[in-house]
Amino acid sequence: MQTVQPCVTIGSYIWAQDRLPFDEFALRLDALRAAMDRNGWPAVLVYGDVREHAALAFLSSFIPRVRWGMALLPHTGDARLLCAMSTRDLPAMRTLTWIADVRSGMGPEWVNAFDPWLDRFKAEQTQKLGTIGFDIMAPVLYGAVRRSLGERFALQRADDIVAIPSCRMRPRELTMLRASCKLLETAAKTFVDSWRSSHEPETAALDAERAARSRAAQDVRTLVSLDGGRTLVPFQGRFEKCTGPLVGYLAVKVAGYWADLFVTVDDGSATPATRHAEAALDAIIADMRPGARVDALHAKALGALAPYKLHPVLGGSVGHGIGLSLHEGAEFQASADATVVEDGVYALQVGTADAEAGHVLMSAIVRVAAKGADVLVRSKPQAR
Amino acid sequence: MDERVVVKKNGRLAEATRYLADEALDGLVAASNGLNNFLESNAVYVFSGVRPIGESAVVLDRDGASTLIVTPAWDEARAAAASSTDRTIGTDDLAATLKSAVGTHRLDLSQTVSVGLSLLGAALVDRMTSALGALPKAADELARDFARLRTPEELAAAERATWIAERGYERLLEYARPGIREFELAAELYCFMKKLGAEDNFLLLSASQHNLAVRAAGERVLDVGDIILSEITPCYRGQFAQICRTTVIGEPRPLIAEKFAILRDAMGEGLAAGRAGATVADVTRAINGVIQKSGYGEYCRPPYMRVRGHGLGITSDRPGDIVDTNTRALESGMIFVMHPNQYLPESGYLMCGEPVVVTDSGARALSARPAVLDVIAI
Repeated sequence: MQTVQPCVTIGSYIWAQDRLPFDEFALRLDALRAAMDRNGWPAVLVYGDVREHAALAFLSSFIPRVRWGMALLPHTGDARLLCAMSTRDLPAMRTLTWIADVRSGMGPEWVNAFDPWLDRFKAEQTQKLGTIGFDIMAPVLYGAVRRSLGERFALQRADDIVAIPSCRMRPRELTMLRASCKLLETAAKTFVDSWRSSHEPETAALDAERAARSRAAQDVRTLVSLDGGRTLVPFQGRFEKCTGPLVGYLAVKVAGYWADLFVTVDDGSATPATRHAEAALDAIIADMRPGARVDALHAKALGALAPYKLHPVLGGSVGHGIGLSLHEGAEFQASADATVVEDGVYALQVGTADAEAGHVLMSAIVRVAAKGADVLVRSKPQAR
Repeated sequence: MDERVVVKKNGRLAEATRYLADEALDGLVAASNGLNNFLESNAVYVFSGVRPIGESAVVLDRDGASTLIVTPAWDEARAAAASSTDRTIGTDDLAATLKSAVGTHRLDLSQTVSVGLSLLGAALVDRMTSALGALPKAADELARDFARLRTPEELAAAERATWIAERGYERLLEYARPGIREFELAAELYCFMKKLGAEDNFLLLSASQHNLAVRAAGERVLDVGDIILSEITPCYRGQFAQICRTTVIGEPRPLIAEKFAILRDAMGEGLAAGRAGATVADVTRAINGVIQKSGYGEYCRPPYMRVRGHGLGITSDRPGDIVDTNTRALESGMIFVMHPNQYLPESGYLMCGEPVVVTDSGARALSARPAVLDVIAI
């Protein structure tokens, strides 16, 4: 789910070498170097900003807390990381990455930090450099990159060639994601407990946020419904009591990895909408096997949800990959042409907004194993 | 106070409409990348009063008719309720919807200007270019110029944001103690201020026995002798306000208080110099002058400091960074943070800063209690 982007991410950030040691990055860089060999790139430039930085974090562990960062990763030789921070801030930035050479790329620092690093690749013919994440780079920075490169280098989009981060999670990544799911469950329990005592959705969301942040979450996002689940809104600061069920969305990030969950709680009897939504979630979880087509999963979910329609906040999707980004890989939509993979981790989501049958949103995060889905976290059942 | 009322009263859409007429232009397209950088103007917020979730745009024509386009599509109802524009559209395809809106408003793009397109991602800009055929000419200073003086309602919101910041700092004094980690303290302050209405917060908070700079909270466990630096910046109804504070756990060495007094003196000189008509450079020189007289002239540059203050988004970041090369004249009603934060070799980095509003007689701090060197008794 998209949420309002905070001006800075508050939380516990450091390169967690005990959990993600350099050898894990070495494996990732080996795969990147293989792609460099195949494509004739002497280096790959990896860009990320405060909102979307999955590839940058995957390869460098660096997560920008404001503005942007860019890893300059050569096939051979030392890497460099540029960040949009003042030279005053560089000592703190160096604690966030395995890359020893961290420079400011802001303003006049750019030409001193970027241009000299390229000199090692000088050749008579134009050299190709791979780029990842440049789609989200602002034109003003892209212009600076182009001016620095001049005619000596051509850029080649590498996002689709390298597929970073990989949708197959390695054991250490899965451990991180399980930690996120565990903290998410704690936050979700706080959310529900707080709502039961206050019936104020925003108070409940803030209590959940506090529970996650005080336990070392790197980021927390929440959305709540103030109209019983028909719509979701970001923080409004009203803290008013609301009638009807509690419907909300929580996302927490731990050590770079996201987990998210829809929560619907109605302490009355389960509505028809809830029963159908749970059936739809059960149906797609049951079909989450390696090779399953995502368009078929979408059809299965909508079939179980019928006669009700998918909740508008889901944007026509019943799932997607999750990990270093809240949305990774293909959306599980009717028109999607993709399959789920073994060891892939996915967020599955269903719900409906129906004036007669009720409003409901629920979800699960699953890891796809050879024999089926391993459920890492799931909205608490209401109808069973 | 309702966001919509604020925008209606500040009349920035009306001002922009007059600008279009004066310049014989057909229209204006203002865009936001949704990143909410607290040092930048958010053009969509300026013209609509809506803090968007995703990429968004406002289209304004010379007749004064306006449309807000927000992503994602499901955010339409919230945005429409808060927006001062005539119409609000939710979409998951900003480029295509912008094309449609440009058609509805019958804009001739060769006679249209834009704000904020240079901040959008390259792929989205490419899609917009394809959809529109060409992009309107950039006039990126417009939103920050129109909004450079706070309206009375915005000033009231900035004062409320300052009140929240001061309550947040009081909470720090209550909550900080040896044994807790920086991120735990940051979590408490962030949520405490959110409960008071802060919709966002640029909260930097870090500790050391000898700080090099302030940074975002990490895992450090606080202990006696630590100097906690905090840059507390809540946003209330689109108005960021920042206070900078220095706090010592346990009785500080006398030298720390002595060096902190230099920053306070510099702040006093800055406030006196910050009157309407003076330039930003004048204010900077007044602050630096105190530090130079104390024998630290060579430290008035990065990495020992960054700037002596700065404008505050998301309405307008005017007057810009408080540096000696900024020759912009201050005007009554401008708001910015003034902070003579400084690394000194004997004490490390110390912080002292207040949000100020420019008046004819000087800069007036919005905070009720100016920064002092606070001590958390053990």
